[in-house]
Amino acid sequence: MPEQSFQHRKAYAAALLTFLVPGLAHYMLGRRGRGLALFAIVMSTFAMGLVYHGALFTPFADSWLYRLGAIAEMGLGALFFLGHLLGWGGITTARVIHVMYGYGNTFLVTAGLMNMLLAMDAFDIAIGRKT
Amino acid sequence: MLADHMLSLLIFSFLVALFFATVLHRDRKSFIKSVLKTMGWMVLGALAFAWLMLWTAK
Repeated sequence: MPEQSFQHRKAYAAALLTFLVPGLAHYMLGRRGRGLALFAIVMSTFAMGLVYHGALFTPFADSWLYRLGAIAEMGLGALFFLGHLLGWGGITTARVIHVMYGYGNTFLVTAGLMNMLLAMDAFDIAIGRKT
Repeated sequence: MLADHMLSLLIFSFLVALFFATVLHRDRKSFIKSVLKTMGWMVLGALAFAWLMLWTAK
């Protein structure tokens, strides 16, 4: 029983690590190459979103569509909050009318969703569900 | 302009295909096969959808 509890704690810690740095949990669980590759993929998707003038939404927005976007982008964990702190991807008129704005949002939302899947994958690996 | 749309479609589908192949596949052969398959279907699907939008707008 205590061993099972330790496994669960380890699994939750792994999921949490993913929200700190994408791919870190995979790296710590011994899948070093995969962890580095996943870090590069999620970071590239996030960077492309910012390059394409995508917005980091806020969960307190008036539009429910923006709020949904914020939930997906929150999957980025620390990056989402760091982005807001540093003022990346703020919703400005210049950004919204930019021709690549829609693509940028798609990249950012996808990066968040990818990281959520990574957290679940790390959880499964840590708990022994995935070999 | 059209080239920009196509480029973002290719980059996006490549990153998504790479992500799923990295998470789900271990050996090189199935990895490459998965990337090509996912990317191909994403590009074809997006182009088909764009064509449908153009066709229904007429």
